[in-house]
Amino acid sequence: MRRLIRIATAAAAIAVVGSSTPAWATTPPDDSTPAPAAEGDAGTIAVITVDPSNPYWKAEVDTAVRVAAELGYGTTVNAHGNDPDLQNQFIDAAISQGVDAIILDPAGAEESVGAVQKATDAGIPVFLVNAEISEQGIALSQIISNNAQGAALGAEAWVEAMGGEGTYVELFGNPTDNNAQVRSDAYHSVIDQYPDLELLQTETANWDRAEGKQKMELLLSAHPDVDGVISGNDEMALGAIQALREAGRLEDVVVLGFDGNQDAVDAVIAGDMIATVLQPIVQGTTLAVQQADNYLRTGETGADAEKQAIDCVLITAENAPLLDNFVMAEEGSGTTTASAPEPSTANTGS
Amino acid sequence: MTTAVAESPALRRRTRINVSALLVEGRAFLALIITVLIFSALTPKFLTGDNLIIMSRHVAFNATIAIGLLMVILNGGIDLSVGSTVGLSGVVAGYLLQGANIPFTDATAYPAVWVVVILSLVVGALIGVINGLVITYLKVAPFIATLGMLYVARGLALVITNGTTFNDLRGEPELGNTGFVRVLASRPLGIPMPIWVMVAVAVVFSVLLTRMPFGRWLYASGGNARAAELSGVPIGRVQILVYVFSGVCAAAVGLLLAADLPAATPRGGEFYELNAIAAVVMGGAALSGGRGTVRGTLIGAFLIGFLVDGLVLIGVSTFWQQVVKGAVIILAVAVDQIQEAVQRRTAGTKAARAAADRTPTISS
Repeated sequence: MRRLIRIATAAAAIAVVGSSTPAWATTPPDDSTPAPAAEGDAGTIAVITVDPSNPYWKAEVDTAVRVAAELGYGTTVNAHGNDPDLQNQFIDAAISQGVDAIILDPAGAEESVGAVQKATDAGIPVFLVNAEISEQGIALSQIISNNAQGAALGAEAWVEAMGGEGTYVELFGNPTDNNAQVRSDAYHSVIDQYPDLELLQTETANWDRAEGKQKMELLLSAHPDVDGVISGNDEMALGAIQALREAGRLEDVVVLGFDGNQDAVDAVIAGDMIATVLQPIVQGTTLAVQQADNYLRTGETGADAEKQAIDCVLITAENAPLLDNFVMAEEGSGTTTASAPEPSTANTGS
Repeated sequence: MTTAVAESPALRRRTRINVSALLVEGRAFLALIITVLIFSALTPKFLTGDNLIIMSRHVAFNATIAIGLLMVILNGGIDLSVGSTVGLSGVVAGYLLQGANIPFTDATAYPAVWVVVILSLVVGALIGVINGLVITYLKVAPFIATLGMLYVARGLALVITNGTTFNDLRGEPELGNTGFVRVLASRPLGIPMPIWVMVAVAVVFSVLLTRMPFGRWLYASGGNARAAELSGVPIGRVQILVYVFSGVCAAAVGLLLAADLPAATPRGGEFYELNAIAAVVMGGAALSGGRGTVRGTLIGAFLIGFLVDGLVLIGVSTFWQQVVKGAVIILAVAVDQIQEAVQRRTAGTKAARAAADRTPTISS
């Protein structure tokens, strides 16, 4: 039995190592790039993402490729790693290949305007997912996740767990990142309606786990009786959880995260975190590909507006077990194939 | 009669210099005491046993890096890659604990924890060796060489993790690799492990600097490399060794930080180099080399750490925390510059006086 476990663990670990080879410029095997038209007569869609080594963007790519294949399109996949120059090169490549549409996760709101304009000028429709650009009327769709709505959802769950009263501290993200303020404002739009919930102190922890832990340790020194923690993202919340665990306070302090990354989902399952908020990357990407398909067939995206904010999903102990690296098992047109071949299950043995 | 008159002002000047030197050397210590007094007056939570241990643990990470960095700065160099080395060493430890693929085979190795610790420290040493070789033999300026290494090491950490975080460092009893977190995050005698490591590193490097030939070589090579070389100091070897020390200290912090979280993230140690430089400089070391002590660096690290943590404790806004921290660092460097200017001037007048004494005919 032990040996069996050992072999299984070893196999899993090898799978992880094997998958870490940077073979991402090529598309997954089911649609090989040389003859994309062979996959679907409908045409080819260029998918340009940020960094598929991150599970969040891997889910984005997997979804785009899968939905495109279902609709009869071949795909090419590239990753710009938030480098606008690289993004420009991939846009140029897509133009010269003569793809039918581009699904782009833009590298910066300002920096990407030119790249999107260039593709649009070349007659290739561009559909943005996950992030927006600073101008409207160039891309056909800009599909982003609704951070404010998501944070409000998380805050409501957290308030309920707090019983509507008590003291709390806030861990704030990188102050120069717009999302830090948006999430904080949305948290407070809910929490401030409860006069018995008292904010003791706000500290910046720059989205970082180590800094989240250090700040939480000091906050515990300053406010030993604190009842709750709200955090702008999961990493800072996980740091706070570790500080609370070492101080022996984890049982009675209610912690809220945001992002829905796998470590945080595991913490929700373990009961260390009351809730986190999943950014609906699978749903957003599905919509983007569907709207690209609509546009190519009918000349209309089928959406009411160019900018579309997709609602986030609250993750609590109830639905957390269904979530695997940003992919909800129930979600995504019934097929759970996208979540099945995820190799990084070796980390989840906590 | 004339000699007595000539000597007494010189004597007086020397004692005055010593007093001012003492004041400047001790300025960080004075500032530390003042910081502690102010924060203790502002909040009763500052000077409690638990809080002192928490703050000292935060300081220990920075102080351990700073002591390693002091070796480089004494040599007249700088090591900007320490923060990335922290991240890389933690990630290497995390990778090995998850099971490392043996190159060119399908086999996976699960090294014991002590092997993991040693290999991670070796990674830090290797980074130091490369820094040292590039600086010594390729004559690349330390700032540039270690700036490049800052990116290389951070990039490697990202390559190893694929950008994600190793979340489970506990190991499996079946694989015989448990104990990383248990030992490195333990509290012997109620004191957290990082503090013990800081103390050990401080003792080792003070002995090295004050009791061993290497210490004299280092101060000599940092003060005047050409003169040191002519008097037989192996300045090339010294220069490479200081970067190895710095890399190993940073790698040790990487391990402690990973065990503390417990998670190994490729972002670990970002910007730690800046805090460490601040601690070394505030502790009275000269960035030009040749001057600085382990004691001063420790005081500098405690000053900056207590300042930052104290501001959080009394609830100063995050933005103002940074302003205060930055202002204190600038103040420290400014005092450092004034001290150097004073030293240069006194040395200059002394030399002029000596020259005048030797050639009375010209001056008269």
